[in-house]
Amino acid sequence: MRPRFAAAVALTATAALALTGCTKKNDDTAASGDATGDKTYKVAFVPKLQGVPYFEAMNAGGKEAAAALGNVEWLYQGPTQADAAAQADIVRSYIQQKVDALIVAPNDPDSMAPLLQQAKDAGIHVATADTDAPSSVREVFVNQATAQGIGEGLTDSLLTAMGGKGKYAIVSCGQTAENLNSWIEVQKAYTKTKYPDAEIVDIVYAGEDQAKATQMATDLMNAHPDLTGLVGECTSSAPGVAQAVKDAGKIGKVFTVGLGTPQSMKPYLTDKSSTAAILWDVENLGYLTAWAGAQLAQGKPFTASNNVSSDLSAVAYTEADKMLLLGPALAITDQNVDQFNY
Amino acid sequence: MTTVAEPKAPRTSKIKNLPSPITGQELVLVGVIVILWAALAVSTPAFLTAGSIQPLLVATAPIALVGVGMTIVIITGGIDVSVGGAIMVCSVITAKTLVGSGVNLGVAVLISIIAGAVLGLVNGVLIAYGRVHAIIITFGTANLFMFLGLRIFGSGTVNGIPGTLGFFGRGPDGRTLGVPHAFLATVLITAAAWWYLRHTAGGRHFFAIGGDAQAARLAGVRVQRRVLLAYVITGVLVGLASCFVIAQGTSTLDQSVGSGKELAVIAAVVIGGTSIMGGRGSVLGTMLGALLVQTVSSGVTQLGWRSQLSDLFVGIFIIVAVGADLLRARARRNR
Repeated sequence: MRPRFAAAVALTATAALALTGCTKKNDDTAASGDATGDKTYKVAFVPKLQGVPYFEAMNAGGKEAAAALGNVEWLYQGPTQADAAAQADIVRSYIQQKVDALIVAPNDPDSMAPLLQQAKDAGIHVATADTDAPSSVREVFVNQATAQGIGEGLTDSLLTAMGGKGKYAIVSCGQTAENLNSWIEVQKAYTKTKYPDAEIVDIVYAGEDQAKATQMATDLMNAHPDLTGLVGECTSSAPGVAQAVKDAGKIGKVFTVGLGTPQSMKPYLTDKSSTAAILWDVENLGYLTAWAGAQLAQGKPFTASNNVSSDLSAVAYTEADKMLLLGPALAITDQNVDQFNY
Repeated sequence: MTTVAEPKAPRTSKIKNLPSPITGQELVLVGVIVILWAALAVSTPAFLTAGSIQPLLVATAPIALVGVGMTIVIITGGIDVSVGGAIMVCSVITAKTLVGSGVNLGVAVLISIIAGAVLGLVNGVLIAYGRVHAIIITFGTANLFMFLGLRIFGSGTVNGIPGTLGFFGRGPDGRTLGVPHAFLATVLITAAAWWYLRHTAGGRHFFAIGGDAQAARLAGVRVQRRVLLAYVITGVLVGLASCFVIAQGTSTLDQSVGSGKELAVIAAVVIGGTSIMGGRGSVLGTMLGALLVQTVSSGVTQLGWRSQLSDLFVGIFIIVAVGADLLRARARRNR
């Protein structure tokens, strides 16, 4: 009995370890050039996960801002899987390094809140970008687009293709992702008021697994033979739903839209299995994030309209919810997809 | 249960102590799958149509295929928790080759299989000759493989993968006479492994090692070579399965590929009735286990139930399967 028990314990332990994610860290820093005399401010950004084009594009924008500002050292490190615990470790390490500003795109806003408090207690300016942690002590949230803008953009693009009516389903990713869920809430409400003849028949969660998202989209089409629309709510399910439609030979019968990065959506936009990808200029989001971190680190206040760069000449700031807004959502179609290199 | 001697004297002297061709666990699984398919056929509009069953079989294939190797490994008393990382390495190498040099289907499969075999060899050598338990070694290599995979990815996804591997995909290119190629290949390989494990001396040696490695050694089994072979077989199958994974995904490969697949594969093996303690098991059961898990996942979606319910059901299956195995083991000891 004993060795069996030991083996069972070992298996369980491994399973637990594998579940919590085996993370390797991969430092990626871009120090700014000359900071002679002046203080250089360390602005650290912790994405949900690194290595995906979305956050790498943000990193590129952050580096660009650091180079333009001159007195900012941009630090960028995230977990290799979208895992809250692994992300927390990286945040803790930045707290220990006493960076000047710490900006996080939290995987789990609730568990991130106490860590942000800890950072604040250590004298670090804290902020969120891409995904908010609303109940935390963050000083600003750098918002890519309002939930309203994204939810309505997705719904309008899809329902224009669907002819303003019909049944559609959503393939989402993480079940606790704050931004995804807030967009879905808008999609539900907006569909009900603007398109009374349309209906969301199901919302499923595929994690970050492309093959699973594709299979779930296939299952949804089988479950609802009269389905005419699918939404891929994140960058792994957006190409996934399009691939499912293509595989099922239903291009032109089932329409898809999604939150996809331009280069990953290009083949699907070209063969019309995807109508549009709703996104924003991710590099500019990274730029704005780094700029906001630098402002916080230097103790400079935000104004109602901020001149950040030539591309971002009037970034709105709202005091009530302490939010910087990048701008309206962007519809990427086969017409403009080649303008984006990520 | 599997090593029960036939009560009647065997007619040929060659066949002694062969387990029954199908185990009780497998019969139960077939029954459960039949009931589930029937229930889903009644309660959903299109479960039992080609448009639903074909993708389901395609989705089952990679887990079942890696499960064949995992079953052999677990029969020897080992385990391989590095298959998720190995899938990542094989698929990123293959995807990058497809994008970079536009190789044909055969070359792509070959590259993936060679990559998988090398990774399997690393595991096999460390476990067979390093005399450290497989779970420790493969847990270490799992992290090494993931590191390697991420390095090959660089800091981006692999975009614009051509449709070369569509032969194994979900689309019309992936079928002949309605049968998905990925599933057909998996069935053929499972059948070959079933025959090998049951009817050849070499195959029986895996069971002997898992039952008692020392006794097997004394009986003349080359334990280290056999153990090494088990991990290399797993690596080769990981290589082929990675081609299936690319084919089932999109034209973009991201770094989440392979993530968590080791648990999905071990779940299929355990649900299939293979004893996690080694010495007993069946590749047929593993295939049925993988099919059951995918049936539950697709069924939950097609019924419109909450996605997380499929995790609950798979968890229950694992616990029931392991519990049944422990009860059988107890019954054998008390006999």
